Amino acid sequence: MIEFRNVSKTYSTGTEAVHNANFTIEKGEFAFLVGTSGSGKSTLIKMILKEENPTSGNIIINGKDTTFLKPKRVPYLRRSMGVVFQDFRLLPDKTVYENVAFAMYIVRATPKHIRRQVPMVLSLVGLSGKAKMYPNELSGGEQQRVALARALVNNPSMLIADEPTGNLDPETAWDIMTLLNDINMRGTTVVVATHAKDIVDRMKKRVIHIDKGVIDRDDKKGGYDSEI
Amino acid sequence: MRYNVLGYLVAEGFRNFLKNKKSTGASLMIMCATMLIFGLFFLIGQNVNYMLKEIESAQGMQVFMIKDATEEQIQTLGEQIQSLDYVAKTEFVSAAEAYNIVKERWQEYSKALEPYTVEKNPFKVSYVVTLTDLSKSEEVRAQIAQFDNVSNIEIRDKTINALVKIANGVQWISIGILVLLVIISIFIIANTIKLTVHARRKEISIMKYVGATNGFIRWPFIIEGIIIGVIAAMISILILGASYNFVVHKIMESDITSMINMTLLPFNQIFTLVIAVYLILGIGIGTLGSAISMRKYLEV
Repeated sequence: MIEFRNVSKTYSTGTEAVHNANFTIEKGEFAFLVGTSGSGKSTLIKMILKEENPTSGNIIINGKDTTFLKPKRVPYLRRSMGVVFQDFRLLPDKTVYENVAFAMYIVRATPKHIRRQVPMVLSLVGLSGKAKMYPNELSGGEQQRVALARALVNNPSMLIADEPTGNLDPETAWDIMTLLNDINMRGTTVVVATHAKDIVDRMKKRVIHIDKGVIDRDDKKGGYDSEI
Repeated sequence: MRYNVLGYLVAEGFRNFLKNKKSTGASLMIMCATMLIFGLFFLIGQNVNYMLKEIESAQGMQVFMIKDATEEQIQTLGEQIQSLDYVAKTEFVSAAEAYNIVKERWQEYSKALEPYTVEKNPFKVSYVVTLTDLSKSEEVRAQIAQFDNVSNIEIRDKTINALVKIANGVQWISIGILVLLVIISIFIIANTIKLTVHARRKEISIMKYVGATNGFIRWPFIIEGIIIGVIAAMISILILGASYNFVVHKIMESDITSMINMTLLPFNQIFTLVIAVYLILGIGIGTLGSAISMRKYLEV
């Protein structure tokens, strides 16, 4: 599903953010990408999203090498993955329903499809009753659920979450993580970049640890720190 | 909620247009000003061309034949002239007709004509030649001069040359102003749209992450540019139309036109062209301006 082959990334400023990364995340897997800030996690996520290109090596997504993907094809690559961020990135002047439907407009879904799909996804994230509210009327956890609904509404085969719980209190963070787990159970590949140690330890999922640009650990059922 | 994609894009375009009222207003005004300056020269150019056409159809040159030309020679020359490029029409004037014209035009000198009659007079037969393009009169004249049995050619070079020069000058000024207008306006519109793009960069980045194609992201901004261009065009058309009508009326009322025996282009005859030119300009400039301002933001 996501395969990194000898991927290195050096920014034009000269800093090497990722050095010779090799890993494969299989279809239906749930994987944590952990490391301190500045360790290269974000660069890995950006390369998966093709927001950044690797300096060397290959990234294969859904069986296709995206290294030489034409810029024109990038939008279609991104439609195969849902993304959520630490800061939610909702549109403040649109309602919850509209924020989610927005993701369907821009991939030109039919009106009928939108009317059917949006309420379904909202109920999946537990926000059925709040469709008509605006983001500033919601709590942080609810806003992240809207972002999740938006990421999932086009049925992507994988979900990429970049510090999804960074702005949330521990309890809400755990709720969101449970939701991500539910989404994973329904067959979606989930990749979560985080430095929330206790959550990672509690989830007992695969952990890919990156430190100073080097992947130094890849445990099938691991914790944030080496041995558990 | 809007479901239709085209409707959605157009509605977003209008929303953008209404978002930065100050900068949109400023670019509208500057575009109108440049369009009006261009319009002024465009109208002058069109009118000079129109006058030239009037003169072209009214007069060309008169080709006189040698005295006692035979019927056959007359006909041959007529055919030769008609076959030349840029000749619109040849009209034969017999000696008798020439006599009548002169007699009518200079009645006070009728005594001088007394020894002659319509049948028997010293006038040469001639062809009045009108041209399709007055600037080519020198060429045509040289060609006709080489034909047999031509005695002399009369042409009013000075008026024609002066008018052609004016027409060319106005045309070049209009083109220069048009180029300037297009460049200035494109940058003004690009700047205005940059503000909307900046205000909506969050939305654009979300669109990109969800997999919107660049075309889809670009359209609302292009529509915004087109709206600004079209509105500037419409305002300019109204102002230009009203002032043109006013000026033409003033000129028609005064004695100037009867003195120089010329008319100006009527409003409705010229304004379909003006409207077409302005709308094409507005739409073209709007599209280009927004395309330029979008370039940077679409890279991710």
